[in-house]
Amino acid sequence: MKKSSKATFFVVFALIVFLAVTSFFGISTTYGDTKTVYVKGANDIRWGIDIRGGVDVTFTPPAGFDATDAQMLAAESVIKQRLVTQNITDYEVYTDTTKDRIVVRFPWKDEAASKNPEKAIKELGDTALLTFREGNNQDSSGKPTGVTKDNIVIEGKDVKAASAVTNTQTSEPEVQLELTSEGAKKFGEATTRLIGQPISIWMDDTMISDPVVKSAITGGIASISGSTAKPFTTQEATDLANKINGGALPFKLVTENYSSIAATLGVAAKDSMLLALLIAYILVCVFMICYYKVPGLIASIALLGQFAGFIIAVSGYLPFIPSFTLTLPGIAGIILSIGMGVDANVITSERVKEELRAGKTIEGAIDLGYERGFTAIFDGNVTVIIVAIILMGSFGPSSSFWAKLLTPFMFMFGAATTGAIYSFGYTLLIGVIFNFLMGVTASRLMLRSISKFKGLRKPWMYGGAK
Amino acid sequence: MIDFMGKKKIYFTISIVIIAISLIYSFIFGVKLDIQFKGGAMINYSYSGDINTDDVEGVVEKATGEDVSVQKTQGNINKLIVSLPKSLSIDSQKKMTDEIAKAFPSNNIVLLDSSNVNASMGKEFFAKCMVAIALASLLIIIYVGFRFRKIGGISAGAMGVIALFHDAFMVFAAFTFFQFPINDNFIAVVLTILGFSINDTIVIYDRIRENEKIYGNKKELAEIVNLSINQSLTRSINTSGCGLLVMIVTCIVAYINGVTSILTFALPMIIGMISGVYSTICIAGPLWVVWKNYRAKKLSQKTGGSKPSSSIGKIKI
Repeated sequence: MKKSSKATFFVVFALIVFLAVTSFFGISTTYGDTKTVYVKGANDIRWGIDIRGGVDVTFTPPAGFDATDAQMLAAESVIKQRLVTQNITDYEVYTDTTKDRIVVRFPWKDEAASKNPEKAIKELGDTALLTFREGNNQDSSGKPTGVTKDNIVIEGKDVKAASAVTNTQTSEPEVQLELTSEGAKKFGEATTRLIGQPISIWMDDTMISDPVVKSAITGGIASISGSTAKPFTTQEATDLANKINGGALPFKLVTENYSSIAATLGVAAKDSMLLALLIAYILVCVFMICYYKVPGLIASIALLGQFAGFIIAVSGYLPFIPSFTLTLPGIAGIILSIGMGVDANVITSERVKEELRAGKTIEGAIDLGYERGFTAIFDGNVTVIIVAIILMGSFGPSSSFWAKLLTPFMFMFGAATTGAIYSFGYTLLIGVIFNFLMGVTASRLMLRSISKFKGLRKPWMYGGAK
Repeated sequence: MIDFMGKKKIYFTISIVIIAISLIYSFIFGVKLDIQFKGGAMINYSYSGDINTDDVEGVVEKATGEDVSVQKTQGNINKLIVSLPKSLSIDSQKKMTDEIAKAFPSNNIVLLDSSNVNASMGKEFFAKCMVAIALASLLIIIYVGFRFRKIGGISAGAMGVIALFHDAFMVFAAFTFFQFPINDNFIAVVLTILGFSINDTIVIYDRIRENEKIYGNKKELAEIVNLSINQSLTRSINTSGCGLLVMIVTCIVAYINGVTSILTFALPMIIGMISGVYSTICIAGPLWVVWKNYRAKKLSQKTGGSKPSSSIGKIKI
């Protein structure tokens, strides 16, 4: 082990304070009315619907209807489209194609919506009304107007299927439409009349595309491509095809599984939990400093680093770590990790104390303490990692990495219909990781360095005899 | 130094009595399964003034045609809790809400939260949770087996696992005793306690191994175990103490502010943590010594040799 200098303490300490401050406040600039967020802070944390209030619903096709994977994905895209149309962007949608389930979680759009959760749920699951309309005239609120309102070319039932394909000539992605014979007749008539003009595609009252008719299409197979200036990406073509299919679904989504939470309750619950977190942190610090003196102070600084770690892990602080929904059990997981997180510091401080009493020097005691304490710390964390992974795998969305990891054991079960515990598993796991980083590595660096300071070289400050 | 080995009979009795009482308790009062697992509906309304739950029951029964129970709680927000055995369709929930609001116009009825779970999905979720517990236990046992190969072998590992089941049972007992419905919180708490509790045990067995090397032939096993428990005592108590401290804070804050979902999480967690320290110190170690001595006795009887020179009960430390 390299000898650490006095400066190490300040470097590590400054780093922890930097992480704590930036993770909490984020980094953003305000220029006039525009705020540019460079690094997300605690204000950007996405709270679960048990805190913000909202709806958690599991949609299925009606009993006895076995939907294909494509139909489920089409239904999913209809739901997403509707959420976006309602200006709800902070939703979570998971589709389980083997069990034919779509789990949707979304917060309330406004106060009025929370008064009528039944309406919100019903609107999402309703059969989508897909229309192809003449022109692309929209009024100020985006609804069809004029000829576009009056002249419907074809509807969802006229579409057999839509798929994203690659054009063999241009190699650009495009959407291929297959129409029923009646649909083909109507579409043929309209496209003959409207060459050079747009035909817009609508889901409910939202325009999702407005391609221009290039030539009359009478054969019942139409293709929609992006403009020459801005061709479709494969993703855009797939999205559009899914949406069109969603409007042509032969079933309506039903639900017997839904819950809603009013917006008022959760926020108070969150605030009280954050208060609990603060009190818990202060009490643990007071205990550690009183009981273990200098190592206790180091443990408190390390805990601050662990705090920052939690915020970083959920807020999307680092661009490559996606933000994570934090629920009430998730906050409880953070509090728990604060309490159990000092374990690493407790184990080593106890060992340091023992070595000091056995007559070792402060440096020797610190080194031996960390060396001898490590196996116990490691063991403790392995079992918690096992538990955290199982929790995340069984309560998380079925598409998550953890769920896939558990597939050999959980394949016969669908996605969990409740999501609050997933967040608990996550904070538990993050707690373990930062326990290693802060409770072991950072603490060791700081303790070795701080023990070089003149006033802090007395063994009693480390638990030795006075 | 505290003589843990000498009082082992008291500890075993305490644990057995608590387990017996909670088993009897759960048979008499039943185990409440949350609607998450058994399916059904639970809808909460806030109300003002005074309201008669029987009247509400009548209105809801008429609106839904289901057998219903209505309770009320008073606090910051007065709550009306409507529980139904089956999940409601969206239309019937709407109808029910409208009917209640119409029947009690002066009570200012507002829907707070509702939860509807389809019975078959609930059962499936329950099965999934059980598999999760089984899987976690299995992985922990494998890990323990791997770790204990060095420390005390299979028998030590087995005793550690018994202590684990002891703790998981205490969490269950806490849920039945407080009449909290068994839900996803239960699963989370049981798994967390499994994860935390085994650590303490590993730390103590680790110490036993270290001390065996030092005192191997000079001291009795019981003495070594007792010494090891005492040496790790401060650490066990301080770590669990911090854990307990933060959970007690959480529990109190949740109780004052009426955050039920966290209260039903933190309170059983506290019981599990206490049980975790207790089982590590008072059950896992002493039980192992009992087992080792029993084996030694059997072995010496088989080989026809003399009785083992001491039985642990007599040792004075």
